[in-house]
Amino acid sequence: MNRLEKIRNFCIVAHIDHGKSTLADRLMEYTNTVAKRDLSDQMLDSMDIERERGITIKLTPACMKYKYNGEEYTLNLIDTPGHVDFSYEVSRSLAACEGAILVVDATQGVQAQTLANVYLALDANLEIIPVINKIDLPSADIAGTKKEIEDIIGIPCDEACEISAKTGLNIESVLEAVIKNVPAPKGNENTQLKALIFDSYYDSYKGAVSLVRIFDGTVKAGDEILFMQTNKSFTVTEVGIFTPNSSAIDQLTAGDVGYIAASVKNVSDTKVGDTITLKNNPVEKALDGYKEATSVVFCGIFPLDGDKYQELQDALEKLKLNDASIHFTKETSLALGHGFRCGFLGLLHMEIITERLEREFNLEIITTAPSVEYKVYDNKGKVYDVTNPSEMPPMANITKMEEPIVKMEIITPKEYLGGIMDLCSDRRGVYHDMQYIDANRTKLIYTMPLNEIVYDFFDKIKSISKGYASMDYELAGYQDSQLVKLDILLNGEICDALSIIVHKDKAYQRGRALCERLKTVIPRHLFEIPIQAVIGGKVIARETISAMRKDVLAKCYGGDVTRKRKLLEKQKEGKKRMRRLGSVDLPSEAFVSILKLDD
Amino acid sequence: MSDNENRPLGLYIHIPFCNRKCDYCDFVSYSMDSKAQQLYLEALFAEIDMQKSKFVDRVFDSIFIGGGTPSIVYEGFIASLARKIYSSFHFLEKTEFTIEVNPSSFTHEKFLEYVQAGVNRISVGVQCLDEKLLREQGRIQSMENIEETFKMLNNSLFTNVSSDVMIGLPGQTLDSVMSTINYLLKQNIKHISTYTLQIERHTMLYSKLRKGKITPMKDKTMETIFNQVNKALVKEGFVRYEISNYAKPGFECRHNKKYWDDEVSYLGLGVAAHSYIDGYRYYNTKRLDTYIDDLNEGKSPVYKREYVSDEERRTERIMLSLRTSKGLDLEKFKADFNEDLLRTHADIIKKMTDKKMVEVKDNFLKIKDEYFAVSNSIIVELL
Repeated sequence: MNRLEKIRNFCIVAHIDHGKSTLADRLMEYTNTVAKRDLSDQMLDSMDIERERGITIKLTPACMKYKYNGEEYTLNLIDTPGHVDFSYEVSRSLAACEGAILVVDATQGVQAQTLANVYLALDANLEIIPVINKIDLPSADIAGTKKEIEDIIGIPCDEACEISAKTGLNIESVLEAVIKNVPAPKGNENTQLKALIFDSYYDSYKGAVSLVRIFDGTVKAGDEILFMQTNKSFTVTEVGIFTPNSSAIDQLTAGDVGYIAASVKNVSDTKVGDTITLKNNPVEKALDGYKEATSVVFCGIFPLDGDKYQELQDALEKLKLNDASIHFTKETSLALGHGFRCGFLGLLHMEIITERLEREFNLEIITTAPSVEYKVYDNKGKVYDVTNPSEMPPMANITKMEEPIVKMEIITPKEYLGGIMDLCSDRRGVYHDMQYIDANRTKLIYTMPLNEIVYDFFDKIKSISKGYASMDYELAGYQDSQLVKLDILLNGEICDALSIIVHKDKAYQRGRALCERLKTVIPRHLFEIPIQAVIGGKVIARETISAMRKDVLAKCYGGDVTRKRKLLEKQKEGKKRMRRLGSVDLPSEAFVSILKLDD
Repeated sequence: MSDNENRPLGLYIHIPFCNRKCDYCDFVSYSMDSKAQQLYLEALFAEIDMQKSKFVDRVFDSIFIGGGTPSIVYEGFIASLARKIYSSFHFLEKTEFTIEVNPSSFTHEKFLEYVQAGVNRISVGVQCLDEKLLREQGRIQSMENIEETFKMLNNSLFTNVSSDVMIGLPGQTLDSVMSTINYLLKQNIKHISTYTLQIERHTMLYSKLRKGKITPMKDKTMETIFNQVNKALVKEGFVRYEISNYAKPGFECRHNKKYWDDEVSYLGLGVAAHSYIDGYRYYNTKRLDTYIDDLNEGKSPVYKREYVSDEERRTERIMLSLRTSKGLDLEKFKADFNEDLLRTHADIIKKMTDKKMVEVKDNFLKIKDEYFAVSNSIIVELL
């Protein structure tokens, strides 16, 4: 048996919570890759936030050894993120594999993300190994789940593994199925180096490290390598594998999965999807499928305390070291001062980054309403990519506008169908199809504008369906749209941080809701404060915060003076924590309120 | 500073006894028998003896005996205390001498005692004439007590009478406050203090509020009452010389004015009393037993002394001056703090002037009457 025949490269695809990470942990434990005592739950999810949400964002591969029929096999598990925001990264990980384990929770059946990910795996021509998980639970429906997989996905399930990743039941059957059914990698170790970067991370000693699948050739320390997309070359300092911590080896050869360190300073030089070859003996053609990571959702991020601007910049730069898909540029807002306009792969990505800024860097931040990238055409024939409402050209000059749309798939128990369809049409969704998955569940397909889902669509779906429905979406291009810029005027002055771009038909409702909400969060001032929602100079909604009525200290005698002085000093401090726009003091809740209009 | 050191001081003496604590009160008070009062008087004497040597070069021109309920202590207590202070400090000839009395304990005998002791100003704690409201606040005086007190005062030659009115009691209405005011106006009163109720922590009212047993007065109602009272009193010839204080001309309370005036020193004696002497604040212990024990052992009852920094002085100057009808002396402010408020806060002062919230006249900045109700917010703008 040759070397390649004893390698299996595979990944696990699953819907959130169906047990992907637990299964990965169990596989490592059974192959003695990690001793049980070292195994913190869900070993592969290395970030706290991910662990808390039970989802994997960052991929960490694991190289496992397993003896089967007297032969020792190398099993390279490449974990994939389970969220649509990272579907490009998923597709590159899948391209590094020959097979995929499809984990389905026997108590929940096929879900939206199961489908999205399994389709990606099928598109990548991977051998799919169905695994029915959580069979130890009383509510498990093994036969029903198998039937669903066969009916909906079209994968035969008579030999599907039936396991409990939690208890370790039948884990060996998964390892055996991988060895039996996943094809061995193909490749020629004696030809030019061709390695696919499917991920990268920043290490403070080694620099930007590329995670690679070697398709052809060999790479070792000292080799001069070329990154074909960026056309930059570096000298390899170390190659190795993940067990699952990185451990250096002599060389990586065709069929292997491992890492290459070459003192690369920046993760933006180790782009996911890029091809690595040798500088002196390059391949002619890079691997297919390379794409630049593009931002889909944008928002402004400002420090709550204006003095922390530099700290915020440092934190964003640190995050970018490990995540080349974050984009940020300086932004100055009249209301919020100096901050950054940031671009993200999607909503979850945005949420993760803002949460990490607060948790890992201890920064208090204000984020403005999430926006998408609109295409705005003016009467001079120019096209603008507008991601920030304040950059919108004057309405009078605009001839046409386009907004990004997504194809949305929602799987829901049928009792919530009505509520979810109402929500979709309220969010300007266009109904396409409805498929019955089983007697109980239905898949809905809509196209809808991305800007209708960037606020709280997912939360709404969850609350309508009591958590049972699942959703997934993919970008589906641009469509013409009647959009307007909605401004909020406080005491007659535009508060730029509260401006949003919204569909014409939604503007009135949004404007009114926003005014009402702001009225409740902005404290009373000495002066009456009119709040107006305005489109192109026309007021569409108005509220008034009436002037303060009573703010007086009673008696003020003797030793009381100190106490009263302290009260006023406290009142002054409270004011300082607010953002001042003209003569209006805005608490940070005012900026959050824009995100939560439907509560 | 040297200017201030030459100005006459005020003397405050705290009497920490009450029959029963009112629900809204967070002043230090104890309900004690005459034995405890005797011990307290001895401790006061000891404190006076401890202090007097520091004031041999200074003169006083006001005395204020407050509480608690000063009228509750046994007959002879005040007379004896007065003798002691006269023999310990120097007083100007026309020293103002105020005592606070509660109608429930203010008898003819005590009235005579006070007058003989030199008291020339009496402040009657009325608060509110609505008996139901008063009972709810735990005050013990009855309408009958109040009427007797004013009858007694009106039948005498004693003219300098003040009264306190509380605004903002839960359940209080504009009518109820106005009927109290109108009643007082008929009693030939020269001075009225109107206090807006502040629900302080550590009061019965606070815990009732927390338990949802009472609803605080609405801001709008409070503002209306505040301004209606102002109108009614001004019409009767009263001058509002401070946010909560009205007086017929010549009857302003000299002692209280010292608190609002720039850095005038005052000496506070007794449990929980505070002093402000030449730039320092002193705080006496708030515990009656500690106060008595300390003085018995010859120790000072002062538990804290602090220097008021320039920054704090600046804040206090703005805060206190703007409470008065005279307002803030901008010239003096500039000289003392090297800051021209009209320049450093030009925008907000202009805005507030335009809206007629404040006015700048003859180099004084003052809050207009109708905006005293929001004085905190105005003051904070200038800090």
